[in-house]
Amino acid sequence: MSLLELKNVSYTYSSGTPFEITAIEDINLTIEKGSFVGIIGHTGSGKSTLIQHFNALLKPTTGQVLLNGKDINQSKQSAHEARFKVGLCFQYPEYQLFETTVYRDIAFGPTNMGLSEDEIKERVREAAELVGLTDELLKKSPFELSGGEKRRAAIAGIIAMRPEVLVLDEPTAGLDPSGRKKILGMISEFRKSTNSTVIIVSHSMEDVASLAEKIIVMNKGRIYKYADVHEIFTKSEELAALGLEVPPVTSIFLKLKEKGLDVNTDIYTKEQAEKELLRYLKREGIAW
Amino acid sequence: MVRDITIGQYFPGNSVLHNADPRLKLVLSFVAIIFIFVCNNFYSLALVALFSVVAVLSSKISLKIILKGLRPMLILLIFTSALQLFYNKQGEVLFTSRYLTITTGGIYTTIFMVIRIICLVLVSSLLTYTTSPTQLTDGIERLLSPLKVFGLKNGVHTLAMMMTIALRFIPTLIDEIDKITSAQKARGANLETGGIVKRAKALLPIFIPLLVNSFRHAFELSLAMSARCYNGGEGRTRMKQLKLQTRDYILMFSMLIFVGGVIALNIIFESVI
Ligand SMILES: Nc1ncnc2c1ncn2[C@@H]1O[C@H](COP(=O)(O)OP(=O)(O)OP(=O)(O)O)[C@@H](O)[C@H]1O
Ligand SMILES: [Mg+2]
Repeated sequence: MSLLELKNVSYTYSSGTPFEITAIEDINLTIEKGSFVGIIGHTGSGKSTLIQHFNALLKPTTGQVLLNGKDINQSKQSAHEARFKVGLCFQYPEYQLFETTVYRDIAFGPTNMGLSEDEIKERVREAAELVGLTDELLKKSPFELSGGEKRRAAIAGIIAMRPEVLVLDEPTAGLDPSGRKKILGMISEFRKSTNSTVIIVSHSMEDVASLAEKIIVMNKGRIYKYADVHEIFTKSEELAALGLEVPPVTSIFLKLKEKGLDVNTDIYTKEQAEKELLRYLKREGIAW
Repeated sequence: MVRDITIGQYFPGNSVLHNADPRLKLVLSFVAIIFIFVCNNFYSLALVALFSVVAVLSSKISLKIILKGLRPMLILLIFTSALQLFYNKQGEVLFTSRYLTITTGGIYTTIFMVIRIICLVLVSSLLTYTTSPTQLTDGIERLLSPLKVFGLKNGVHTLAMMMTIALRFIPTLIDEIDKITSAQKARGANLETGGIVKRAKALLPIFIPLLVNSFRHAFELSLAMSARCYNGGEGRTRMKQLKLQTRDYILMFSMLIFVGGVIALNIIFESVI
């Protein structure tokens, strides 16, 4: 069932002035309930602009955004409600923490929803547990946390609203490998435990390939392609033409093929790579 | 949107104004601003407007950027012109009805004010548009250096440095306000409704991160500066020594013509305001 639907959406910054710039143009898009969608695209291709339409932070210059079949820009009320149904986490969310304690910061969203004390408490605990923040950390000031912890606290602030759709803009940008792994693990965990829809914008093809089921490729403000991961990453030339790369493992297999090894290049996760390598070695009689 | 404010930004380029000596630019902008207010009839006003247009053109900065810088003034312009137009009762009455009277005085002052404000913004923003922060500090510091004899040895340098840093961070902070506001709105922050107290409170989630981020920027900057052995103006030498060149003298001469022109036109024609 379609959860989020964009119909002919265009958005122009500074509209009606000589400095207007059309960031996205004629976007038609349907996000299925429960799916995991990755958004990739060159810098300035309009990814961040696009996702800000999902929760009515930006109102389309033309076109419509439907959430569960209803136009979210119909009234102030509907836009406000969309913010809670579609949890949007911006890039570098750690710079938006402001409360006296981590607990209170995570509670900011639920409080704005007008929930009861008990309900807020439960949601904060649940979100904190999911992102791996201990009770001790919850009592601290958010400014005392490490970079990775701050990031997780900020994401918990969105998760605590229990959104139907979780949208993340480059959640792993600027983190070390272990911090990155934690965030990615957390996102999968969130999806598994809540069956929510997740949309993630990322520059890391590796992350997108390992997590997402479908991928939106943005190019110059338009959707270049919206298809299964498999279909996207098997067309490395097409991606290269857009200034994008295939995941590192895929490029390894492409190189192997180039060298004359008869391997399958239709590989984009480490697990597939392992399998394919073993299969190859076995067939060649090198390993068994 | 707050993002549309471009005053204080620097747009690198290669033009007469970009290459001119920053000290000269500072002084000339100051003189130009004075003469924007000195003109008192339509002929000298026209010269001021012409001067501003020529200045803008010679900076080779795209018209888009210039207009963008003017845009925040629009509301101020409309508001003050409306006030002048409807409440200034000097001069002949051109139109009158029960509610409003329009007089020649009102129209004249409105025209003067609009052109003056526009020229003022143009000239002052051209200074920062065409001068990099480093050059600007350099210029300010050199111009103020006579103050050193009054025991303000390091003070002049510090002041100039502080001004430059402040200018430099205006666009950064504006960008940040934009981002933080969106992020808090995404968590359901309500900034638009409620009484004045409620609204002021609603700004906290924006101001606190902004403040924290400003401190972060300040610490990072001071660290970067000390990493490059910055320790104030004492004994600091420069890679680029400022020296007036032929093109600077030409610029000075053109300015002299402008100033002379405004004075002459003011004397020849009658003042209208
Ligand atoms: N607030 C704004 N005002 C004016 N123009 C903007 C604004 N935000 C973005 N743009 C412009 O809109 C276009 C799309 O920007 P957007 O931020 O959506 O790109 P992006 O795909 O997220 O890029 P990145 O990968 O660098 O994050 C760019 O050309 C950008 O300059
Ligand atoms: Mg972006």
